[in-house]
Amino acid sequence: MTVQRRYTLPHCNLVLEGLSDNADDPLSPLTVLMNAECYLPGATDATLTGGREFLDSLVAAVSRYGQRLLSGVPYPTATGSVPPMVDVKPGEGPYHHLIVQQQPLGEPVSDVNAQPPLDVKLSTVQFYDLMEAVDQLLADSQTLPDLTAQFQAVSRRLVQPTEPITQRAAPAALGAAVLAAAGLALFFVPLPEFEPTQPETESVAPAESSTAPTDAPAADGDVGGEAASEPSSGENDLALADNAPAITDGATVVLLQGDVARRLQTAWADAPRPVSDLVYRIAVSEDGDILGYRYENDLALAEVDNTPLPELTFVPVDGAGRVQERVAQFVATFTPDGEVVLEPTENPETTAAAEALPELTSKVGDGDRIRALNSELYDRILDQLEPLSASEALRFRVRLTEDGEIVGYEPTNAAAGLLVAETPLPSLVTATDSTADQVDFQVVFTEGGVLEVSPWDGWPQ
Amino acid sequence: MPVDSPPAPQPPLVLETLVAQGLPSDECPRRARIQLDLLLLAIEALDLVGSEAMLTAARDLALDGLVKSRVHLWLLRGTNPMRRYSQRRPLHTEEAKALVMIICTLSRRLTVLVRQLLVGYQQLRDRELSPEHHFRLADYLSRFRSHFRARMNPRRAGVIAYSSDEKLNQLAIELLQQLLLCSGVLGPQRLWSSLFDGEVS
Repeated sequence: MTVQRRYTLPHCNLVLEGLSDNADDPLSPLTVLMNAECYLPGATDATLTGGREFLDSLVAAVSRYGQRLLSGVPYPTATGSVPPMVDVKPGEGPYHHLIVQQQPLGEPVSDVNAQPPLDVKLSTVQFYDLMEAVDQLLADSQTLPDLTAQFQAVSRRLVQPTEPITQRAAPAALGAAVLAAAGLALFFVPLPEFEPTQPETESVAPAESSTAPTDAPAADGDVGGEAASEPSSGENDLALADNAPAITDGATVVLLQGDVARRLQTAWADAPRPVSDLVYRIAVSEDGDILGYRYENDLALAEVDNTPLPELTFVPVDGAGRVQERVAQFVATFTPDGEVVLEPTENPETTAAAEALPELTSKVGDGDRIRALNSELYDRILDQLEPLSASEALRFRVRLTEDGEIVGYEPTNAAAGLLVAETPLPSLVTATDSTADQVDFQVVFTEGGVLEVSPWDGWPQ
Repeated sequence: MPVDSPPAPQPPLVLETLVAQGLPSDECPRRARIQLDLLLLAIEALDLVGSEAMLTAARDLALDGLVKSRVHLWLLRGTNPMRRYSQRRPLHTEEAKALVMIICTLSRRLTVLVRQLLVGYQQLRDRELSPEHHFRLADYLSRFRSHFRARMNPRRAGVIAYSSDEKLNQLAIELLQQLLLCSGVLGPQRLWSSLFDGEVS
């Protein structure tokens, strides 16, 4: 018995004709399809007709395209095979194209009578109606029960990348090309020649030497780790420091004294206390770096590892020339009480120039003469006096002959000993070996820049 | 027979039509989370009481166990990585199925409106007119734009792509088409399998 099933939607009529399973039972399902017709009013006047092959192809194409619209992932088309009988492709804007390969009714398919495929332009709503008609057919268990929906997500392997391979490879290829070009260009650039830095250039800019990594701890005044040297190397440094020019600026020396004493005290805070004083002679650069040290008593040698000196000692970079820096020398005493006492040593140069004066043998006794010599000395010193850098008064004992020749002088306080070179006194000494009657004067350069000269034994009555 | 434990909760029957795809794990991929949230956003733009309707639909479909409350629904939608307050929790397949059912149920109720809007959009395009000439369509588009901008994180790369009104309108129209396709008899199955396109092995 011929059965007709009709699925009607506003823009699509799907009509199936076939034979039911059991001719006697009106409720038996349609199992054999004879003809399928699809009307698309509003889209095309043509009627799409076909048998089971047409219907299967229509169902598959519509399902595929519907899923594509939902996910945006294009379904890969089988390549190399004949185009499917029904296919749906995206059109411009909101349109879709239903493409149907037509074949004449009742005639075998051949190249001779092939017709161009029918292209139906569908709007989204029209396509939806077509899909809904197909869905209703699929959901209808009374029609073609063997035709059921097959929903399968597109496999990852079948998804075509959204960008073609050439486009994806472009950045990598560009990068490789740039690298090659850069390599080629740099090939012609000569290698820079390494020249070891000369000592002269370093002494001009001593700060450069402290930029080397191994210098950093000492330069910063921190306790260095690996930079700590053997005691012997520190002692060698002191030998060099002996030959180095001394720092004669009293203010700098006082500043260094306080700075180094504080650092030694801090670094020594946790060390075990010695049984008696440890005395070292240390050389300090203008930057405050401890350039070297030497023990002054035997206990100091034995206990050197308990003091912070090895760690704080500045280690110059190997290979670089030794910098001739100006140094100040101190005597550092580590007491059993845990204190670090730092005192400036007597500058060898200074002590040589201003040696202690011998006891006066024959004094000038004439009071008028003493007054005249006093004012004469005052004038001579004042003539050559330059501004001093002292932060305290410099006191000297100056010895004159009866004729006014300066026999010698002697600093009477520490600052005076350090800063004697800044005073005019060394250049005024004229008669060191005079045997005439002599007289002593006290010469004071105050920190305010005032010169005071008075007889050593007081003004004569 | 006495039992010492409550019966294991059965998954809602309505979800049985959605077969599990060959997913590597129980968690939904990124694109599926974005897609579900955007479709719900489009429903909200179509229906002024859309968010309330979602909860009602969940109750009607006996999905209370999966979409428990308004806050829970918000948490589920927050799995969309484009969101301003994106949640780090995963979206499990059962929860995604519940969202699919809610979307399809609501889109079926809105079919008439969706068809009108799509037909109107097509007519405007044929005459090369802007969407502002269709009152309902312009209303939907502006509401979608404001919803989108209020809830999505503008610093996200995926959101930056929709910085202009035109691009957001385009997205809204695409979602409208997808809602239409969801409203059919096999809409849930179609939407469900489309969520995993390109994700299954």
